[in-house]
Amino acid sequence: MTDDPAPAAPAPVAPPLTRGQLFTAFLKMGLLGFGGVMPWARRVLVDERGLLTDREFVELIGLCQVLPGPNVVNMSVILGGRWHGPVGTLIALSGILFVPVFVVLLLATSYASVAHEPMARNAIAAASAAAAGLILGTAWRLLRGARPAPRGWVLALGVFIAVGIVQAPLLWVLAIVVPFSIAIEWRQR
Amino acid sequence: MMASPDVLFEIAWRFASLSLLAVGGINALLPEFHRVVVEVEGWMTSAEFADLYALAQLAPGPNAMVVSLLGWKVAGVTGAFVATIAACGPSSVLCYFAIRGLENLRDPRVRVVLQRALAPIAIGLMLASGYTLARAADRSAGALALTLAATAAIAFSRVNPVWILAVAAVAGVAGLA
Repeated sequence: MTDDPAPAAPAPVAPPLTRGQLFTAFLKMGLLGFGGVMPWARRVLVDERGLLTDREFVELIGLCQVLPGPNVVNMSVILGGRWHGPVGTLIALSGILFVPVFVVLLLATSYASVAHEPMARNAIAAASAAAAGLILGTAWRLLRGARPAPRGWVLALGVFIAVGIVQAPLLWVLAIVVPFSIAIEWRQR
Repeated sequence: MMASPDVLFEIAWRFASLSLLAVGGINALLPEFHRVVVEVEGWMTSAEFADLYALAQLAPGPNAMVVSLLGWKVAGVTGAFVATIAACGPSSVLCYFAIRGLENLRDPRVRVVLQRALAPIAIGLMLASGYTLARAADRSAGALALTLAATAAIAFSRVNPVWILAVAAVAGVAGLA
């Protein structure tokens, strides 16, 4: 045997992020995620760092939504674990959850005094309206970027109407739609 | 604030027992959290619960942080961390091993089919949550205009969302929303 790498052996794939980069990427999502982390998660993972395509991102979020637990927490568990194992999971969770918890507790101590100022209320109301737009715009980008088949567009629209407009209970919608969609994809495979 | 171990233990098992039920996230379980902390344990009033929920929506970080704030209200900083770990721990462990199992399946078709089937549902749910948030926030024509402008800015440009939120907040202070 020489020092040449054996060509047949599967080369271990280096994680695309160091542990430090993993932490800062998830910290950014956690600290900037006003009104929801999802728009920032897509921006950091897809646009800024190119770690996932739109399609990969959506497929990942889909899995996170059917597993119990907060979506972005599950996402951190999966991506941290994929790149750095159990330690990576803890690193990602620290960035997106544990450090921002300190910030929220700081805010909470001053919230009561600020929240009733008319100026603060107006700013908060307007920022909430814009935050809703961030989520809607992100969903639109994902629809265009992930390019689902026509049946996917119909399904997305149906889920939107059932949960958003009709306000049907989420668990019931998932209990019906998830097996239905899996059955269709299985036949189309 | 010193919290007694009894209270911390109570938070831990109450929240941990809800963790695996949180399909669709913590928001899906809010009525149950409300029942436990307000009605069963009497840790806070309904109005205090609503205030903490609003704060968690506004603050940076996952909206699930409402559980951290509930724990904080009951037992200070320690309570916040006990509540966060209890509510997210069991589901995170399940998620970690479920995904490992999925990635180790011999037949990759199962994973591919599952991912393709769930992707459109994820987009539909994201649209629904944006729409629900907009319905709650858009009490005026100005607010609706801000929502639409922010949607277009994200959908069709690469402008940093921080600027969108900052401009919106200034517009709010100026009385435009």
